[in-house]
Parts: sequence; structure tokens; C-alpha cells
Amino acid sequence: MDNKQNYRPPGLANRFLTWFCAEAVLETLQGDLHELYQLRRKKSGKFVADLNFILDVIDVCRPFAIKRKSRSNYLNNNTMFKNHVKLAWRNLKTQPFFTFLNTAGLAIGMAGGLLIALFVYDELSFNKMFAGSDRIYRMNIDMRTGGETNYYATVSGPLAGAIRQDCPHVEMVTRFRGVRSALLRKNEEDENVKEKHVAGVDATFFDMFGLELLEGDTKTALNAPNTLILTKSAAQKHFGSGAALGQSLLFNNTQTYTVTGVIDDFPKNSFLRDHTVLFSLESFKDAHSEAWNNFNFPTFVKLSPAASVDDLQDFLKTVNDNYLIPWAMTFVPGLTVESSKADDAKTGNFMKFRSIALEDIHLHSADRQGEFSPNSDIKNVYILSVIGFFLILLASVNFMNLSTAYALKRAREVGVRKTLGATKYGLIRQFLTESGLISFVSMLMAILIAYSVIPFFNELSGKAIAMPFSSPVFWLAAVASTIILSLFSGSYPAFFMSRFIPVKILKGNSGSPGGGNVRNSLVVFQFAISVFLIVSTLVVFQQLEYIQNKDLGFQKDQILVVDDVYAAGDQMESFKQQVLQLGGVERASLSSYLPTPSDRSGITYFAQGSFKAENAAIFGNWTIDHDYLSTLDLEIIAGRDFDEKFYTDSSGLILNESAVAMLGLQPQEAIGLRLTSDFHRQDKENMRYMTVIGVVKNFHFESLRSNIGALSLVLGKKANRMMVKLNPGDFQAAIKQIEEKWEMVAPHQPFNYYFMDDSFNSTYQAEQRLGRVFITFTILSIFIACLGLFGLAAFNAEKRIKEIGIRKVMGASAGQITYRLSIDFLRLVGISVFISLPLGWYVMNKWLEDFSYRVEIGWWVFALAAVLAVAIAIITVSYQSIKAALTSPVKSLRSE
Amino acid sequence: MKTGAFEGVLLLAVGVLTANAYWVSMKFLLREKTGKRVSIGALHSVLNRLEEKWCLTVSECRATATKGGRRNKYYILTARGRNVLIETSKPRPGLLKNIQGLNLRWDG
Repeated sequence: MDNKQNYRPPGLANRFLTWFCAEAVLETLQGDLHELYQLRRKKSGKFVADLNFILDVIDVCRPFAIKRKSRSNYLNNNTMFKNHVKLAWRNLKTQPFFTFLNTAGLAIGMAGGLLIALFVYDELSFNKMFAGSDRIYRMNIDMRTGGETNYYATVSGPLAGAIRQDCPHVEMVTRFRGVRSALLRKNEEDENVKEKHVAGVDATFFDMFGLELLEGDTKTALNAPNTLILTKSAAQKHFGSGAALGQSLLFNNTQTYTVTGVIDDFPKNSFLRDHTVLFSLESFKDAHSEAWNNFNFPTFVKLSPAASVDDLQDFLKTVNDNYLIPWAMTFVPGLTVESSKADDAKTGNFMKFRSIALEDIHLHSADRQGEFSPNSDIKNVYILSVIGFFLILLASVNFMNLSTAYALKRAREVGVRKTLGATKYGLIRQFLTESGLISFVSMLMAILIAYSVIPFFNELSGKAIAMPFSSPVFWLAAVASTIILSLFSGSYPAFFMSRFIPVKILKGNSGSPGGGNVRNSLVVFQFAISVFLIVSTLVVFQQLEYIQNKDLGFQKDQILVVDDVYAAGDQMESFKQQVLQLGGVERASLSSYLPTPSDRSGITYFAQGSFKAENAAIFGNWTIDHDYLSTLDLEIIAGRDFDEKFYTDSSGLILNESAVAMLGLQPQEAIGLRLTSDFHRQDKENMRYMTVIGVVKNFHFESLRSNIGALSLVLGKKANRMMVKLNPGDFQAAIKQIEEKWEMVAPHQPFNYYFMDDSFNSTYQAEQRLGRVFITFTILSIFIACLGLFGLAAFNAEKRIKEIGIRKVMGASAGQITYRLSIDFLRLVGISVFISLPLGWYVMNKWLEDFSYRVEIGWWVFALAAVLAVAIAIITVSYQSIKAALTSPVKSLRSE
Repeated sequence: MKTGAFEGVLLLAVGVLTANAYWVSMKFLLREKTGKRVSIGALHSVLNRLEEKWCLTVSECRATATKGGRRNKYYILTARGRNVLIETSKPRPGLLKNIQGLNLRWDG
């Protein structure tokens, strides 16, 4: 055909055709369309030709033309997959030892990882079940006075009103009121029941958190004074199966409350989890107090959907100027916003209102005063996640190591397969099938293991986690992680083995297929992690030991604490006297305040003649009795203890060293100093002063994570607890006698007691838990690493069996052979020790920085870790080495 | 052997065109003889089918300038295709005569 002119059809349509069209028909089809296009172009011009071309391309989108996987190919895949599974199964069966090591290692690693994942998931899910939880924020206060910063989870009472009135970004405000604990009983009964976790709350509670009552009306339940709601389990405790609604309960033997609602128990992963009773806020006499220095009110706000947290924080920044200082101006003469700011700038004092998201409270609000329930720390979540990750990594590394080592045995198989036409990818697929099979079985085992050990894990971690068998996400995650794991751990062996060159292998030269360096580095990596974990565990335990045995400045042993002695009313003092007369009792003291977590209160003092804001000194303020210091063996370093001979001691004051230091004085200089907390008074001449009569040596009354705060001790009659110092001897008998006395002075009131050192230890529960979790997973990871090493050693001994035989024939001793076989592994372990020790030192120093009082990491920790690692490695390897060394050369050399 | 009407038409076309039986020539032939426009997609799919049924086979593949240097497939009838053509072209008086008022016409 005469056709010099060659027009180009529209590119896009042409490309589309190329894309979808099957190879077999593409060329002729494209040719035809092209020819038609030329003809049309000449006849009808570009537009018609283009349009027709495009329409034709669309027209040929028919089944015959569309690219697809050919059917025959698909069938073959299926067959090959079945074949892979079959072969994988046979292969695993012929090497039971190797299969066992692989599956056991993986299963244990995955079980550990699974438990940790459940734990982390639980930690992260805190407080997220409340309606609109992402818009709820809690108010905090950070306050610095006299060189000490305090963090509160509770705020001033009037803040809620201020926000409600003047902050347009907030939809709702809910105010709680902290209450220590409550004794409750039915009117007609004598027995009191103690509720340890109670609070007051206003009526917006239900709307705020999206909660419903099981019985009662959310609109009215918490409106009136002297009403309360109970959780389901509390209602059962007090009223059994009978109706609770409308019944009345006596609170601390004095006030009568009506039950206006029963609510479901609060979820275990919410900040309210421990709370069983909520009183209406109106029941408290300070509910409408205008005092901004009363930090008794945990306050939550819900932002309107359009607002951001910045709006809220902007508002909180204005609170000091618009509310707090104007309030203080009513009783501090000459105070203005400007003068207050100038004072703060000079002294470094501040008081800041802050906010924290409800969902962040559990992990990001550690150690604020007045938390609803003990919080965790995001750091623990990180540490555990890393350990979990390590565990799974170690197990995968085992798998890689063992598979590549055992690949030598299968080199012939690969060679034959390749000769017979197996492609590299076919082989990769086969090896991946094998690792998939192992991962799958391991995952099933891991789930079984996790299921059976979860009760122990819960005890270890202090949680109540159940296996989420009914959750589809769980199964999806399990399947996904099986696939990821099998790809991760199987890919290196698969690529490694499929690379074998058949000629070399089949020639009979079964020399090492290489990969030795990778294997060695993996062993180094495994042991580096193990040694690191050993170092960490040792340091954590050392620190715990240090805390528990540190001289705290007071005697905590043999001290029995009797709780809730106020239930005895005015019989309290006589109870103390009766107890003192018992044989097993040395001393006794009544107070609300203990050096272990108990009641706390603070007070602001001014020294006489210096009523300036910058001179304010905030001390912890404990009311105690005359026997307090002697019961705890607290040491007086200046002045004297309270003495019943001095009538004036009722206005006496004992400070601790920190408090004296805060005033900028030496202990001796402080004696006789006159302080007042009565500065609110308008008639200054009647102000009540306290005189410092003694200074007590610092003692640790908060966790050792913090420094010793300033403290003032005054005489007082109010007490919640009695400390009884017992003589060495039969404690049980002494306790029984004390209980009998209690029954006499306070019949039907609960007798709650504990030993102070137990209570003290529970302050460090988080650390102890961390320690236990650490050691468990450390042992686990070392175990997994050893499994791998054991397998490698076995393999190595087997590979060198002939060499060993020849050496023996030539006169080598068993000892020499054992040495030769072990030294390679020990060298690797040695290298890993050198890598991980500095790492361990660095990381653990970071961890220790959180403690005000901490151990120095001694060199022996590293020595011990190194020795442990090497010893474990020797034990693991030497079994195989000795076994090989003792084999008779006749056996090993017979076959050739 | 079952063949559809359009398949029969294409077999005829291949038979008529003899050595020049390829897709574009068939398209023009059909347009000329039946007055119907045949879309290229329909043509291709039916030709493929006939090839699969062994009624047609490719006689040669040669590159042509009109197709931008691409190869062109030329078809010829197989023995089987010839038989099918004869079979389908046979009148079936036994059945047809029973249909009243039907004037069967074959526009070849």
C-alpha cells in the first residue's frame, strides 16, 4: 500500500489499550486499529479519526482481549502450594530437634510479646470509654513557693464557677470533692463498713462522662444535699439482694444520706475504677466556698466541639489576674496584680492553673497530689514495648540462625531441585512456606501459652487482663503478625538457600555454604540484648534494695497502725491509754499523719513582721500528739520535743530541717521564732502566733523519688490513726489484745490495722512490679537466646564430627576438643558483652535519674552480668561440645 | 458443531476473501455486502472464538506498513471450517416450511 504518511493515533487511548490488552492479541489488534485510523484520518480528518479510535479502544474492552492470569498457571500455583506444604511438613519431621527448637523459641517469644501487647493495649485504653473523652480535660495546679514545687491534681473550688461563667469554649464543668474514706452503715445496724474510695461530685457528672444509672434518675440523683449513689457491688455489699434505692446510710456515724442511684461498677481502666460511693457535692459545707486556697476539688471540663485545648489554656492563664489576686486582695493589705507579679518575679514563686487531657491522665500525670487512683507512667509502657519487641526479635533471630545453619544439610536438595528446573522464586516460595508453617504453629502455641499463664501475668503486673478471644481485631492481629513474622524470619534463610549454585553443591563439595558472618553477628546481637537485660535487672533490684533498706530517719519496723480510730469518738484517748498498758506494747501515738502515704495537708506561714507574699512559706502541716516523735524515734537536733509539762506547747511548733532551710535559718536560730498562719484576719493585733520549740532531723515521709519537703508539726486532738510500737515477741498475741480493747471502746466498728513497713513497701509497688516484670522477661529472653545457641552448637558439633574423629585418632584429648568447639561461641559472647555493657550503663543511669536517692552503679554489676552471660553460654555450648568430644572416633569415621 | 449466525458470516467472508482475509478487509467486505457496520471488538472476539474452535487458522503473519510496522494476521478456512460453512448454509426445508409466512432470505 502506498502510505508514506503515517499518522499517530491518540496517545492516551493507545497506552490504555497497551495496558489492558493481553499480549497475545495486542499486536494484531493494535495493528488493525492503527490501519483503520490511517484510513479514517485521510478520509474524515483528525477529529473523527481520533473519536473513532477512542470508541474502538473502548469497544475492544472485551473478555477475549483483557489481560489476566492464565488459568493453567493458576492451577499450577495451587498444586505447587500443596506440594510446598507437604514438603515443608516432611522436612520439619525429619529434623525434629531443629523443628522443636525453632517452634519452642518462636512460641515462647511470641507468647511473651503477646502478653506485653495486651498489657500495653490495656494501658493505652485508659479513660477512653467515656463519651466524648477526647474533649474532656482535668484542671491541675502547679505551685512553687519557698523553693519547692508542688503538683496538684485538684484545684480551687471557685475555679469551676469561673470557667462556667467566663470561658465560652467550655460546654460543661464537673466538680468533684476529694474525700478520704468513709465509714457507712445502715441506720438499724451497728456494724460499720469502710469504703476506701469515695468522692463528692456534682449533678453534671452523668452528662459529662456519658454515664447512666442502673436505678434512679440521672437528672435528680445528685442534686440534693445528703444524697449519694452507689456502684452495683457497693449496693450489694450494703443491702445484699434487696433494693438499695431510697434507703438511707449513716456516714461516719453522724450524717444520714439517702441512696438516690445505683450505677454499674466503673470500668477497670478508668480513673474512677476504685470508687464505690459518690456523694452529692451539695452535702459538703465548702461546696460554695469562695476560698481560692482550698484545693479540694478535682475539676473536669468538656470543651465544645469547635474549641481547642489552646483556648482553654489561654483562659487558664488569665485566672490568676482576674480571680485569684482580686480574692487575695480582700485580706492582704496593699496587694495589687502588679505587686504580686513583681514579687513572683523576684522570688521565683508561681501558681499556675493547668489542664491535662482525660485520656492522658493515666500515663502522663504521675505523682500529682490528689489523683483519683494511682497512675502509671508512659515510660513503663515504652520499656515493656521494647522488651516485647526484643523477645520477638530474639526468637526470629533464632529461627534465621538455625535455618541457615541447617541449610547446609539441605544444600543437595536445593541443588537437585535447581537442576530439575526449579526457579529461584519457586525455591524462595518453598522456604517461605516452611517458615510460615512454623510461625503458624508457633502462634497457636503462643496463644495457648499466653492463655495458660495469664493469671500469673496479671498477678505480676497488677492488672486484670483477659484473652480477647471474642475480638476479631485480636485474631486479625494474630494472623497479620504470623504473616509478618514468617516473612521477616523466613526471608533471609529463603534468599540465602535459593542462591546456592547447583554445580558447586552437586560436585560433592559440600563445603560451607557461607552465611557464617551473618550468623555470628546475629549471635552477638542476641547476647548483647541478653547482657543488657541482665544489667538492667541487676540495677533495678539494687535500687529497690537500696530504697527498702535506706535509713529513712525514723523507725518503721514493729510499728502497727490502727486505722480509723476516730470511730471510737471521744474514747480515743482512753483507748490509747488502755493499749499502752498492754504487755506487748512499748509506745503509742495518735495522729492522722504518717511517714507513709496517709493524710496530707499544707499550711502557709509568715514569720512575725514579714507579711509579704514573697516571705510566705508553705509547709506540710501535721497534727500529732506528745508521743509521736518518740514512737517513730525521730531525732531532735535543736530545741526539744513536745512535753506535757509545758502548757504553752499547744501553740508550739516543731519544724524539720527542710522547713528551717526554707526560712533561711540554721536549726539553732529557728528556736523561738514566731510564725503565723492567721494572716487572713483583719484585726492584725489578735493574730495567733506559733513558736518554734524544736527542730527535727529530716526524715523521708514521701517516696524516695522526691526530696524531703518542708514540714511543721503541731499538737492536736484530731486523729485518724494510732501507731503502736510493739515490743519484740509475739505480734499476733499483741494484735489480738489490742483488738479486744478496741471492741470494748468502739463496739461494732471495723478494726483495720497494718504494719507500717508493709505500707511503706507498697509505696514502691510500681518499682517492684517493674523489677518483677523485668526479671521475668530477662530470663525469658536469655532462655530464647540459649535455645538458639544450643541449636547452633549442636549443629556445629555435628558438622565437625569427622574432624573431631580424626583429631581424636591423632591424639587430641577430650578437653582440647571441647575447648576448640566452644571457643568460637565464647568469643562471640565476649564481643556482645563489650557492646552491651556501655549501653546498659547509659540507659540505666537515665532511669536512675528519676530518683532523688539512688544507688551508684558499681563495676561489679557489669562484672556479674558478663560472668553470668559467659557462664550461661558455656553451660549451653559445653553440653554439645563434650558430647561430641566423647564420641568414639570409630563411630564417626566408620562411614568412609 | 454449533456456530452462531455471525460466526457463519465471518466464515463466509474468510472464504470469499481467500488470500486477503484479515480483519480490516473483512470489516469492509461486511459493510459492503450487508450494509452493517461491524465494530472491531465484535469482529475480534468472534474471530478469536472461531480460531479456538479450529474453524479458522492463521495462514501467515507479516509486517505491513499500513499497521505501522506491526504484523498482520491472515486467516484461511480449515477443513473443519469448510464443513461447518457447508453445514450451516444447507437449507432446512423440513423445519422452515412449517413456519408460516416466513420468507427466509440469506444476505450473503
